[in-house]
Amino acid sequence: MMKKKVPDWLNSSLWSSPTSSPPSPAITEYTSPVFTPPPQPPSPPPLILQDPPPTQIIQESQSEDPHDAPPSEFDISHQTQLLAELSKKVMDMRELRRIACQGVPDSAGIRSTLWKLLLGYLPPDRGLWSSELAKKRSQYKQFKEEILMNPSEITRKMYNSTIGDADDAKRDRALLSRSEIPHDEHPLSLGKTSVWNQFFQDTEIIDQIDRDVKRTHPDMHFFSGDSKFSKSNQEALKNILIIFAKLNPGVKYVQGMNELLAPLYYVFKNDPDEENATFAEADAFFCFVELLSGFRDNFVQQLDNSVVGIRSTITKLSQLLRKHDEELWRHLEITSKINPQFYAFRWITLLLTQEFNFADSLHIWDTLLGDPEGTQETLLRVCCAMLILIRKRLLAGDFTSNLKLLQNYPSTNISHLLYVANKFRVQSV
Amino acid sequence: MVLVLALGDLHVPHRAPDLPAKFKSMLVPGKIQHIICTGNLCIKEVHDYLKTLCPDLHIARGEYDEETKYPETKTLTIGQFKLGLCHGHQVIPWGDLDSLAMLQRQLDVDILVTGHTHQFTAYKHEGGVVINPGSATGAYSSITYDVNPSFVLMDIDGLRVVVYVYELIDGEVKVDKIDFKKTSSNQSTQ
Repeated sequence: MMKKKVPDWLNSSLWSSPTSSPPSPAITEYTSPVFTPPPQPPSPPPLILQDPPPTQIIQESQSEDPHDAPPSEFDISHQTQLLAELSKKVMDMRELRRIACQGVPDSAGIRSTLWKLLLGYLPPDRGLWSSELAKKRSQYKQFKEEILMNPSEITRKMYNSTIGDADDAKRDRALLSRSEIPHDEHPLSLGKTSVWNQFFQDTEIIDQIDRDVKRTHPDMHFFSGDSKFSKSNQEALKNILIIFAKLNPGVKYVQGMNELLAPLYYVFKNDPDEENATFAEADAFFCFVELLSGFRDNFVQQLDNSVVGIRSTITKLSQLLRKHDEELWRHLEITSKINPQFYAFRWITLLLTQEFNFADSLHIWDTLLGDPEGTQETLLRVCCAMLILIRKRLLAGDFTSNLKLLQNYPSTNISHLLYVANKFRVQSV
Repeated sequence: MVLVLALGDLHVPHRAPDLPAKFKSMLVPGKIQHIICTGNLCIKEVHDYLKTLCPDLHIARGEYDEETKYPETKTLTIGQFKLGLCHGHQVIPWGDLDSLAMLQRQLDVDILVTGHTHQFTAYKHEGGVVINPGSATGAYSSITYDVNPSFVLMDIDGLRVVVYVYELIDGEVKVDKIDFKKTSSNQSTQ
């Protein structure tokens, strides 16, 4: 059934290949996990798999090989290309982005360096790296000291009170001397400028951040559990979010920011380079700021209905879907009456971190961050691809089943998804 | 950074109807981690009110308290400091530093909080520090009618304590502070 707007390739055999990889999502359902190795014998997984970062989901990288481009040689040459580009003295950002969009191997801290370059944290000129890093890291340290101090320490520093240490030694018993308090700086102060008052007002946000950090990725040992390692990671996440909230009183902290921060911090902390791993917190802070600068408007409630707000972004997605697959669009919005807000809100604000497992979302982020068109545009294309990939099931379903499906997006081959998303770009240009 | 509120001798309802309004507006729940009360509340309603400010409430029995189950003395550890609590009518002469120092040595605490005299005082001696938060309602005492409402808030941070003294003088709240640090040489019984 060929409707006008559905392009040929959508109905090609790629979609319904029953046996060979990648398993079409319509057939495999939830049974085959996405890291079933494709039965193509010559594919070069060994090269990519060899140095696993300390997680158990490294097998994900297998799904890297795009299936309709020539598989084997592509990956090896791709990785060497990437390494070659990264080892240059001055990198060509466009070239880097182009390679990044094709996927990044999980090994050797490539992703960590690449993301820092793509987010503009590191300049393309390798010579400037050490000075830039030192500057930024010390700036973060300063932020921490200023912002995370509790009021006792602040008042002590401000007023530099001399405790009667000398007196203690001299006199055995005496009336303790009272000193005046300037500016109403006592713990019960209700004054607006009081450090204490601000502290108590901030505790609400800090409590919220604390709760969300504890709930981030509860299935991963890196983030949750009782080990010292995970506790220190949680502490780092908390610090970053608190400092961000304090430095940005306009948006403060909104639930969901923890999900955006988690992959950044994870990638940087797992960098095999010792120095980078120690400063992962500082690096993640600046990259988080950079990442959020494009998406800040999604988190501001007042902007929800404005041109830059989340609602208009969702509308854009809707239009994109309509352009590429009118039949599906009509079925979703009009026949089954699914308001795209029900599923797209989470997809867009959290950059798809909640829809796929952690390793898959890292791959998607490679493309999202690397694409020269910009993260939001790429994101919309990927979301559109996600919808179209399961079109058969969506077209067959009604409101309930479709909503259920969209809110629990089935696992799928990520490189296939990204390939489809890429196709959209080619067409619209 | 632990905030401990010390107050007592409210004598509600016999000698005073309630805490002064200015004090009440400052005492909001959520800021204070512990309350130590020297006694003479005297009724259950005051106990309930203090409980809403902070769930961790410690009270020593004063001679007019209607609840008989409060202990005569109490000790607790907060951070690096050991605090002792006693109403003070048991220590004779009332308010005398030497006798209170004896009690402090008996209880083996760094900071002793007592009341009964309805006058704020803060002494230090070789055994530690004795603090009297005064009367939070300004109720008259056995000794004098001239009483300013006062209470004390201690900020315990590691080995230092900053004691904020809140007094209501002529209708205005005056806040002063006292700093002291615990030095290990001060402790006799180790």
